Amino acid sequence: MSGRYSRRELLGVASAGVLACRAGDGRAAVPPRRPGVVGLAELAPAGGAPDLESCRSAVARALAAATGRESGNEAVRTLFRPDDVVGIKVNCLAGKRMSPRVELVEAFARLLVDGGVAESRIIVFERSSRELEQAGFSIRRGGGPYRCFGIDNDWDRQPSISGAIGSCFARLVSEQCTALVSFGVVKDHDLAGVSAGLKNLYGLIHNPNKYHDNNCDPYLADVAQHLRAKLRLTVLDGATAQCHGGPAFYAAGSFALSKVAASTDPLAADAWAWAEIDAERRRRELPTLEAEKRAPRFLATAERYGLGVGDPARVERVRA
Amino acid sequence: MNRRELLGVAAGCVACAAVPRWLAAGDRVQPGLEASTEDLPAHEASWYKKLEGTKVECELCPQGCSVADLERGTCGVRENRAGTYVTLVHSLACSVHVDPVEKKPLFHVLPGEQAFSFAAAGCNVECKFCQNWEISQFRPEQVRNIYLPPQSLAEAAKRSGAKLTAATYSEPVVFWEYVRDVAVAANQAGLRPTVVSNGYIKEKPLKDVLPLLAAIKVDLKSFRETFYQEQVRGHLEPVLKSLELIRASGTWLEIVVLLVPTLNDSAEEVRDLSRWVKAHLGAEVPVHFTRFHPTYRLTNLPPTPVATLERAWQVARAEGLEYVYLGNVPGHPGENTVCPRCQRVLVKRVGYLIESNNLKDGKCPDCGRGIPGVWS
Repeated sequence: MSGRYSRRELLGVASAGVLACRAGDGRAAVPPRRPGVVGLAELAPAGGAPDLESCRSAVARALAAATGRESGNEAVRTLFRPDDVVGIKVNCLAGKRMSPRVELVEAFARLLVDGGVAESRIIVFERSSRELEQAGFSIRRGGGPYRCFGIDNDWDRQPSISGAIGSCFARLVSEQCTALVSFGVVKDHDLAGVSAGLKNLYGLIHNPNKYHDNNCDPYLADVAQHLRAKLRLTVLDGATAQCHGGPAFYAAGSFALSKVAASTDPLAADAWAWAEIDAERRRRELPTLEAEKRAPRFLATAERYGLGVGDPARVERVRA
Repeated sequence: MNRRELLGVAAGCVACAAVPRWLAAGDRVQPGLEASTEDLPAHEASWYKKLEGTKVECELCPQGCSVADLERGTCGVRENRAGTYVTLVHSLACSVHVDPVEKKPLFHVLPGEQAFSFAAAGCNVECKFCQNWEISQFRPEQVRNIYLPPQSLAEAAKRSGAKLTAATYSEPVVFWEYVRDVAVAANQAGLRPTVVSNGYIKEKPLKDVLPLLAAIKVDLKSFRETFYQEQVRGHLEPVLKSLELIRASGTWLEIVVLLVPTLNDSAEEVRDLSRWVKAHLGAEVPVHFTRFHPTYRLTNLPPTPVATLERAWQVARAEGLEYVYLGNVPGHPGENTVCPRCQRVLVKRVGYLIESNNLKDGKCPDCGRGIPGVWS
């Protein structure tokens, strides 16, 4: 598919308001999106110590499947430019047992490096350095395949208004990052319904506590709307997922999903996560999220904003 | 608080405060010094109930947050830790100042005296026009704090010469346990504890603390539910209920209404509000109409015209309210306390300064009419 766009891709780019133009090095100045497409690759749960190579293989295959490219490297080259500063927001709220595993994030970072993004321009971050450390990440501001540190309360001085939210965003994202990757998990959330890629973005605003009512609708859509120009990719560590008892880790609610998911459509990634969570809930004879009145309705709102495809029934799963 | 004030509080606190048992000599955190939520032990919240599993339901304010493990309520300062709900802001002050009591404003409480004023981070609503949003709309770990336990605060207040303490600036409801414990310490120290609040609180916690307080000022944001929903992210009815509870308790009450151009400043709304105050609270409850200045999320509106404030003043007086004031208009006659019977100016104010106080034992010196308030 290299160099050509499918009808769906073309429509996706057009819906963002800009036709992708080709830069001198063959990369898209505005990376193409594939609305409704989620790339999936198998990855064993984190029972044993996962090796970097199997993580790297899984994330590369998921990326290739998500973008329709031949390889993970090619996918990276399609989505990111060498002069991008790529922020990778990981969700470490629940600690080591329900956060993106370090090896997988590192594998993704190495893939970026191989795709031409300099190590110093890759930043893995979370709300606080403490949360990163609790999830097993090492804080480093230089050296290694990426930098890694917390926002640690470095917020914009003034709030940005986006729909119903008024929030100070992380200065790291507002002022430094040119591209953003939401690197989340697949888990149940007692208020949002699903915590995957979009819910992870609440870590970029100073006041998420204000926006949990009404199942986070429309607030999560409003946060995503604010970030739409930078949000290039969602990656979900679904090796171990959680269908009940979130957002904290709840052993009895966790299960082996054995997947890594990637999508250039942030809604599709969440819609896939929603479907998987509900499927596991049905297997366990638990009520669906809809039945518990906590379906992630913010996805439908975000779809109305033109941010992607938020209906699980319309998500195309592309298996690597 | 400037550096000198901070050091003053710190020195005094260290010298005088009873150091908590958990604070061993050599620990980094000392009363009056900078601290963070991580420096202090968890303080279990006083008003919540445990739900199934590790979930809890907050019973402090009408938001009634249902909070899962590791999550916080809408206030951002209460966190569920494995089924125990904790407040992160007890004894953690993010702002400390000594202010004239007129700044609260409390016009019928010890005019000209100083209030040792303190706040912790957080708020249970989100007014789009919040003037203190840089502390009220942030979490405690996002602002600078000092460790100031109740006893230390009361001692510092005494040394400052203040006659009152005031929980203010952000929203005291979200640090209500701290408010309660400061009130106890303040009363023991011979101070008058006061609170400046939005009144968005449930009945039980309000009743638990009211007997400890000398006065409360409540911001009645509007007399319309739509305003509360759209501009405040709250509801009107619980605030009206709080006002009635406070009034019935005997704790001194004053009301502030910030008039925001085009949103809550119509004569009709002011009339409805005034009628309700008179009917449910009494004509002698002071009502302050104050001037809005564009800030936070409401920067597209101009400051309230003085003519709008004066119209509200006239409407409220015409409805029979006896003590109607204008705020944020320094030097305006609407700042003065006037005898409702003989129209004698009793307390003449210019901004936060008292130019003259003619009250005699809480009465008008000319006609002898008693003026309600806390005068001695």
